[in-house]
Amino acid sequence: MLDSFLHQAGMFFHAFSAQLYLNNILVLAGATFMGIIVGAIPGLTATMALALLINLSYGMQFDLAISFLLGVYVGAIMGGCYSAIMVNIPGTPAAAATAIDGFILAKRGEGGLAIGAGVISSFFGMLISIACLIFFTPFVYKIALKFGQWEYFLLAVFGVMICGNLSTGKDPVKGWVVGFLGFFTAMIGLDKVYAYPRFTFGLLQLKGGISLIPALIGVFGISEILIVLEQEVPYKILGKITKVIPSWKTIRSLIPTAIRSGIIGVGIGAVPGAGEDVGAWVAYDVGKRSSKQGEKFGTGCLEGVAAAETANNAVIGGAMIPLLTLAVPGSPPAAMFLAAIWLHGVQPGPMLPIEHPGFLYEVAISLLIATCFMLIWGLIIAKPIASLLKLRREILMPLILPLTVIGAYAGGVRIFDIKVTFFFGILGYILRKLEYPMAPLVLGIILGPLADISFRQALMQSRGSLIPLLGRPVGIVLLTAIVLIAYSGFRRTIEYTRKHAQINAEMIQEGK
Amino acid sequence: MEKMDKMAAADLMMGLFLIVFGGAAIRASLNMKVYKTFLDAPGFFPFILGIIFIFLGSIMTSSSWRRKGYEQIKSGLRKFKFTHLFQNIQVRRVMTLIVFMVIYIFILIDRIHFTIATALYLFFTLYYLKSANLIKIIIISITTSFLISTFFTRFFHIPLP
Repeated sequence: MLDSFLHQAGMFFHAFSAQLYLNNILVLAGATFMGIIVGAIPGLTATMALALLINLSYGMQFDLAISFLLGVYVGAIMGGCYSAIMVNIPGTPAAAATAIDGFILAKRGEGGLAIGAGVISSFFGMLISIACLIFFTPFVYKIALKFGQWEYFLLAVFGVMICGNLSTGKDPVKGWVVGFLGFFTAMIGLDKVYAYPRFTFGLLQLKGGISLIPALIGVFGISEILIVLEQEVPYKILGKITKVIPSWKTIRSLIPTAIRSGIIGVGIGAVPGAGEDVGAWVAYDVGKRSSKQGEKFGTGCLEGVAAAETANNAVIGGAMIPLLTLAVPGSPPAAMFLAAIWLHGVQPGPMLPIEHPGFLYEVAISLLIATCFMLIWGLIIAKPIASLLKLRREILMPLILPLTVIGAYAGGVRIFDIKVTFFFGILGYILRKLEYPMAPLVLGIILGPLADISFRQALMQSRGSLIPLLGRPVGIVLLTAIVLIAYSGFRRTIEYTRKHAQINAEMIQEGK
Repeated sequence: MEKMDKMAAADLMMGLFLIVFGGAAIRASLNMKVYKTFLDAPGFFPFILGIIFIFLGSIMTSSSWRRKGYEQIKSGLRKFKFTHLFQNIQVRRVMTLIVFMVIYIFILIDRIHFTIATALYLFFTLYYLKSANLIKIIIISITTSFLISTFFTRFFHIPLP
């Protein structure tokens, strides 16, 4: 036990010294800054920030590319709080809960303080999540090493089911539909076992399958451009940003909220596909119920801002745990990060500590340095960012399309990938208009090949019998979880149907 | 007061689509080559997915039917006119933006230089959206496309389409 701890500590300090070189620090400083800027602009999500800026990482050395993407990720999640507080439009969905109290504070002339509290809470959230990442990941690696084909198959199904359940407010069936559509998308191309072409319709380009990054860029980038531009929503900044750094007394009063929300954020981050927005809402809700000042939530309370902001940043570290140990991303931006590190030749999973022993600690150190830069930039640029928020979206959004085109093309240097991006952009737009969540679709595309291969191999090993599954404790836990998720989801669907059948019937009778 | 659930009609159509799609997936998967056994065949997992789509599609269809999706479609069709669709500003805006994207991605890129294609796309899109006055739009289109091309090729050595 002590040997293992000393070994881990040694790896950590080795990674720390290895990551502290000028180029890396400069890349992290720049990436965090860019992430904050992109995240602050309403309509540009953290996933989109990664989708757009992934272009810049193609030409970088591997370790610099990883640092760059992590810096963007950390900065973009925090950056969302500026527009949530100052204009009541969350820069990222993760900051939607921040807007509830933040905007009221801004209208009262305390927008600066709200931003300060948001930045400092995000800092706390990141510290908690990095500590959890370092502490828990080695344990999850040990569990993951025991995974066989059944466990991998059930994990993939569990990921899609839980993500579908959490990402749809009313009807989980919609989340599951897009999740399994993601599985189906992953079936396109040559079968991994026999190289048999599936659903290629004779098209040579489809034999290689649907590339992940073009699909992700389409789903999150192009659909977002259309959603934002379909209507002109003018907004204006109500208050001026005055004092940004809160007093020590205020910061101290936020610490219990930050710790509670940080732990919630990490826990939710570790759930496949749940994401930063779910983390922020749950932490806000728990904060409202458990805080002594709970009744002040929603009336312009710094604790409300702190609860949401701590949790959404804490999700980052949590989302890295399943990503590094099982190659299952905990959130949509983490899915983008996973796609990027695949592109750079790293295969996350239980073999990662053997193939790249220091990778976990390099990720943790990069996150830590990015977190420090996030705090510094976040407080320094709070005032100038107000002028950035005045930038018209009618100018900004069209400029994004060429960047998505480059992002889709540069990975595989294929014009076909640009067309894939466009197709998924339109598909994403239609599905979002019909109230389907995008996170399960992405998770389905990522986990589809794993589900396919492991299910077929598991069945072949057991000669079609499901009985060997009964002797596998992790498999039974996953199967039980899937059954419970399906049960609770179908119950929600039935309740939703019952409630709306009555309302719709009354409305139709009244001729509305 | 509760609002009417306007998604019932769309959900009904999606439910029916999923049933048909699931059936097509099953048919296609059964036509795929079987090497040793069907459990190991390339068509096995798509076959399972086809069954799942039919199951989820049936649930969506029955749920939306009970939420009066059929009545919503009927009343929608009674009031529906193609001219109304194109008078809707939101629909017109999205359709126009999609047309510009199609021209940019499917016609201009790979036929003319990326910088020129981007400048043309930006000019027409910004002009349609009335993002700024004409002079500003020309300046933004040309400088942005030039900067993007230079930035990615010179500084990051990234190939452009």
